[in-house]
Amino acid sequence: MPVLRDEARDEIRRLPDHYEHRQSALIPALFVAQREIGWLPPDTLREVADLLDLPSSEVTSVASFYRFFFLEPPGRHLVLLCTNLACALNGAEHIRHHLEARLEIPPGQITADGIFTFRESECLAACYLAPMMMVDCDRFGPLTPKSVDEILERYRAR
Amino acid sequence: MPAESVLMRFVEGEGTADLDAYVQAGGYEAARHALTTLTPESVIDIVDQSGLRGKGGAGFPTGRKWKFIPKGAPVKYVVVNGDEAEPCTFKDHMLLERAPHLLVEGIIITAYAVGAHTAYAYVRREGYLARERLRQAVAVAYERGFLGRKIFGTDMDLDVVVHTGAGAYIAGEETALLESLEGRRAMPRQRPPFPAVAGLYGKPTVINNVETLSHLPAVIRLGPEAYRSLGPPALFSVSGHVRRPGVYELPLGTPMHELIEHAGGLREGRRFKAAFPGGSSSAILTAEHLDVPMDYEPLRVAGSMLGSASLIVMDDTTCIVRVVARAVGFYKEESCGKCTPCREGTYWLSLVFDRILHGRGRMEDLDLLAHISKGLNGTCFCLLGESVPPSLDASLQHFRHEYEYHIGTGRCDVEDRLPPQHFAARSTGDPGAAAGTPGA
Amino acid sequence: MAEPPATVTLTIDGRAVTVARGTTVWHAAEQAGIDIPIFCYLDRMPPLGACRQCFVRVEKMARLQTSCTLVAEEGMVVSASTPDVRGAQERNLEFLLINHPLDCPICDKGGECPLQDQTFAYGSGRSRFVELKRDFAKPVSLGSVLVLDRERCILCWRCVRFGEIVAGDDALKGFERGFQTEINTPFTQPVRSKFIGNTISICPVGALTSRTYRFQARPWDNDAVPSVCNHCGLGCTVWLDVRDQTVARVRPRETPDLNDIWLCDLGQFGFEWLHAKDRLTRPLVRKNGQLVETTWDEALDLVAARLAESRQRGAGRVGVLGGARLTNEDNFLLRRVFREIVGTPHLDHRLDARPGSASLQVAWGLRGPLAAIPESSLLLLVGCDITEEYPIAWLRMKQAVDHGAQLYAIHPKPLEIHRFITGRLIHSPGAEGVVLAQIANAVRGQKPDAKVLQEAGVDPAVVAGLVARLRAAARPMVFIGKNALEGPAGTTVLHAAQRLQAAGCMIHIMRGKGNAVGAALMGVLPGPGGWTAPEMIQQAARGALDVLYVLGGDPATEVGDAHAWAAAREHTPLVVVHDLFLTATGRDADVVLPALTYAEKHGTVCNLEGRVQQIEAAVRGPAGARGDGAILLELAARLGAEWSYGGWEEIFADARAAVPGLEIGAFRTPPPLQGDWPANGALPARSADLVLITGEVLFDRGSMTARSPAIADLAGPPSVWVHPADAASRGLVDGALAQLSVGAAGLVLRARLTEEVPPGRVYVPRGYDAVPVNRLLSWDQPLVTVSLRAIDAAAAAGPGSEVAP
Ligand SMILES: Cc1cc2nc3c(=O)[nH]c(=O)nc-3n(C[C@H](O)[C@H](O)[C@H](O)COP(=O)(O)O)c2cc1C
Ligand code: SF4
Ligand code: FES
Repeated sequence: MPVLRDEARDEIRRLPDHYEHRQSALIPALFVAQREIGWLPPDTLREVADLLDLPSSEVTSVASFYRFFFLEPPGRHLVLLCTNLACALNGAEHIRHHLEARLEIPPGQITADGIFTFRESECLAACYLAPMMMVDCDRFGPLTPKSVDEILERYRAR
Repeated sequence: MPAESVLMRFVEGEGTADLDAYVQAGGYEAARHALTTLTPESVIDIVDQSGLRGKGGAGFPTGRKWKFIPKGAPVKYVVVNGDEAEPCTFKDHMLLERAPHLLVEGIIITAYAVGAHTAYAYVRREGYLARERLRQAVAVAYERGFLGRKIFGTDMDLDVVVHTGAGAYIAGEETALLESLEGRRAMPRQRPPFPAVAGLYGKPTVINNVETLSHLPAVIRLGPEAYRSLGPPALFSVSGHVRRPGVYELPLGTPMHELIEHAGGLREGRRFKAAFPGGSSSAILTAEHLDVPMDYEPLRVAGSMLGSASLIVMDDTTCIVRVVARAVGFYKEESCGKCTPCREGTYWLSLVFDRILHGRGRMEDLDLLAHISKGLNGTCFCLLGESVPPSLDASLQHFRHEYEYHIGTGRCDVEDRLPPQHFAARSTGDPGAAAGTPGA
Repeated sequence: MAEPPATVTLTIDGRAVTVARGTTVWHAAEQAGIDIPIFCYLDRMPPLGACRQCFVRVEKMARLQTSCTLVAEEGMVVSASTPDVRGAQERNLEFLLINHPLDCPICDKGGECPLQDQTFAYGSGRSRFVELKRDFAKPVSLGSVLVLDRERCILCWRCVRFGEIVAGDDALKGFERGFQTEINTPFTQPVRSKFIGNTISICPVGALTSRTYRFQARPWDNDAVPSVCNHCGLGCTVWLDVRDQTVARVRPRETPDLNDIWLCDLGQFGFEWLHAKDRLTRPLVRKNGQLVETTWDEALDLVAARLAESRQRGAGRVGVLGGARLTNEDNFLLRRVFREIVGTPHLDHRLDARPGSASLQVAWGLRGPLAAIPESSLLLLVGCDITEEYPIAWLRMKQAVDHGAQLYAIHPKPLEIHRFITGRLIHSPGAEGVVLAQIANAVRGQKPDAKVLQEAGVDPAVVAGLVARLRAAARPMVFIGKNALEGPAGTTVLHAAQRLQAAGCMIHIMRGKGNAVGAALMGVLPGPGGWTAPEMIQQAARGALDVLYVLGGDPATEVGDAHAWAAAREHTPLVVVHDLFLTATGRDADVVLPALTYAEKHGTVCNLEGRVQQIEAAVRGPAGARGDGAILLELAARLGAEWSYGGWEEIFADARAAVPGLEIGAFRTPPPLQGDWPANGALPARSADLVLITGEVLFDRGSMTARSPAIADLAGPPSVWVHPADAASRGLVDGALAQLSVGAAGLVLRARLTEEVPPGRVYVPRGYDAVPVNRLLSWDQPLVTVSLRAIDAAAAAGPGSEVAP
């Protein structure tokens, strides 16, 4: 039974118009569904599958391949700390320790208050900001423990 | 900067994300010129003669690639590779954020040359600002008649669709990108057939990197000889232990040490130790190569490669074992899992590195690392797994003593020799310095 | 331009090999007798190149090449055993084994495991892997058939690609990625497939195993006996793996132009009934209203005496129903006993047909080989739910679709394979004749009537597309199924089909299970003046028969009008049944004779293609039960015949004399449609009530499936499928108990809310013995309207019970 709003269902139904094969609309459709629900529970995956006339096993398999689909509920904000080379060379590990202490979790988890999902990330193509991180859509760097605290405060309030 | 900056002049200052600024700087004239006065064949010839080579990593001559596109096929596609996830490569994001019309114009020229009417620009999920700016640029280009029906009053129709990735480095590999664009797991396809023959939806497809296409307006505007005489020009992403990390436009062949100087040189009192000249997939070079010209052939001769022209500079505070372990960790995390050596080899390597870095290494691990590396070398389905051996082997060759120190003492040679503050953050930044906050 | 030569010659390890252009190096090596190890490649699917085990060195090529993906070229110089190739294979095996537990001694695959064999042949014999192995939770069960041991999986992708490429059901998939990749179903739910057994046979390690077979036997303990599956009618070839007089598993037996290397799960796992505890072992006769055990002699004497008595009263007072589950030899004897000795013309194996039904007027079967289906560029299903009825035929259709064929379906509800269907023609119940007639006329140049099509519920544009394609198609094929033939418009369908045949379509009559085609060939059909099965049942109800002789069938559940059968039973003095179990028919019979199964018999059978195949007895069967043929010979002797047959071969020899062309391995292809069928252009009247549609399900809960625990639950509980809109207006929620009524008759089922059934109709799968939907059906009324209402769970005894409306 449908969970998505009619508007979202219509949006998904229109996505294949841009492509020769309807499966091309799958990744965009999963983003629409995730925007609506916050994550991708099994019945939502099935609904997307039905809307695009795809096997739901395929939809789930594809969703599980990519890092930005949440098959479990995430925190309200996504903190991605780049720890790839340029950032590592510029002290990302130091920032990671600081974040771990502040958020009281290791990377890969959600803070107890449910506000942050904290992940280590591969290169975010902003090495001139190293060490850097992204919170949701925003980039920050070069980071210091102090700036990290201020940034977290800002998002905690949102 | 080269005598004439062909890309950075659209990037610097306010940039040219705004269409009027772009047009004022001469934007869309090259595309208009191509569509109204040149035949598709002559556009391809010009590109071929310009010496433009792919900027996505493989360096394949762009004009030659286009010539593989079969002439008669009714449907062809242009696909833009804007996945840019190669570690420490950030030129494409910069172009998309600050000069997106360069790409749009490049797409028009490409589509005209190969006879395509639909282009997809695949931009990674994390590039929020880049995608937003590109979307806006595409939207105004439609409004002004640069995209859509009867472009520049000619018979040329072209649609551009911006498509979002979902978080997978392998989606930057061209056939995996096509899989991803077709809505599947980004796992590379067997070649042949090459995308030029059977690409997106099995149709002939040109895939080019964002930067590659962004060069096209200059190629057309200057003509092949003048463009070529500029180096040809290239964008270098410089990062790591330099004072002014960033993107620099310089002629191909600029010596490595000059490039480092452009990026502000090393930090006070530090000595150069090593560098990746072309992203983490290229073999690490040492100080003896500081003079190497940053160009395809000289870097190959030096045992490395230009790759995506991303110079990662490491000074004498760097523990090479950690750097290689981190690079291996990247490939392990980003392996798609399709083929055995890449999936299992990167996993096994990281376990061994973990042990070494946690003081549980054994001397025979050095042979084991070389053995696993050999298992990955020339055996993987695509170049992701093949990216591991170059830097791993180079590190075992040039920095074997650092491994031995870790294994023998359980500690790090570099840390033991340098006071800990050398590992502190690069500079003090304030959060307000955040670069760009698009409404997503 | 000169054509390139059709072959290329290359050398592999110094041997020159000439192969067809386009052949891969791996196949060329195989042809030259050179063994190159593979894991991911399986020659039924395109190469993937993922496992990286099949390396070769090719002169002038920098890198090692995967031989499975590399196309052989003229003059190629290949080495498959140089030290660099062997080194790469050895290292790759070491990679594969780093996470593979070496639990071969307890693994089901032990002894038939490619990984084990190759480790032996190509491995270094020692591993440098000193780390902890990846740790997955212990084996997980993916439904009642499949067990998955993720630790053993080497990610060859065969099972995943089988679901994508061969079966089209996408049952198993890869999840996560990189070193975390695992094969599974979404969220480890029970697997949804009709073909999952094949993934077990193609898994190159012991990661996928079957629940029925796990730890049961080791391959070397088994005797493999060749046989033929007796379920759906396609007659797939199987091996019965036997140990200690028990069939331990059923495996596909490769027959490239039939089932190839595949089987459906009904064929593969639907065998446990062979050894069900309630197999009949002693004859039963009714005494004082009770069925009581007796001796064979007493039972046979009784039946022979009553047959003889009837013969005295005159010819034609005995009716024979059944034969589809018997061998050709049994059927041949059946015909001889009843036609020659008893002297009745009333024989028929088509006991689930409606009186006057189109299926009684046409020979059943495929008009061409199954293997020709992929050559067709247009397939049209008419009332044929192919995956539920003839699953292996679907695999051929899937191949055709992959080759670019268009698939159309004329059906009253969407089919499971709807993703592959180009044009869905979901019509209102009973309108299939009109729809097909419009199509047939249009193919012959008449303009279709858009208004009529719309009234029939189908989109005229889809019809137009189909007609255009039918005209242009190469070898178009039409598959007419039970639903269309038994429906009210059956003869109109045949009328239209004949016109399509004249326009170049091949018409397949997809009807009959088990050995139905063999029964027909052997003459288990009405003789001159004989009655069809439904006529016999109607006549019996009027007291026209002394004896009804039923074998290999269960009319009480199969006849499409339970009341008609009940009346026949009531008015026939003697009902004799051969069966394996005490079925609904048996429970009401006067004599029940315990019979043997196909796994317990030698002989021959025919499939829907008319292909004659031999089966061998694999096990003896329960002591006390007898083969149908043996029982018939005993009766013949008691009725005075002096026949002597030394074995099935002699019966077969006799049958060959009677049926020309009956040779093992030959095809007795049914003739093209011939006949003069009336067309009826009228559409059934619209009804405000819900129309009941029924259909076959593969894993029904009939007497065999219900006794095969592995598959008994696969079709789910008996249910009525209702469109959410119809459910809402009746206050029905998904899974709730619902009462379905027709007049005074009613059934209680679980409601399944789904858009897979259009509004205005409900769908009830046939074949659940516990929920005999034929109690709602009536021969007089081909289209049944029903009322549906939610009922209080407490008030009902549970699904299947009959409740007065
Ligand atoms: C693992 C892997 C990742 C890649 N990632 C990118 C990428 O992010 N962006 C890119 O343009 N090319 C990338 N490439 C290169 C592409 O496969 C392809 O060569 C390129 O898009 C072609 O465009 P070009 O000829 O303009 O360089 C990658 C290649 C590999 C093997
Ligand atoms: S992956 Fe390999 S071994 Fe497997 S079949 Fe292919 S290339 Fe061959
Ligand atoms: S390495 Fe951190 S953003 Fe590039």
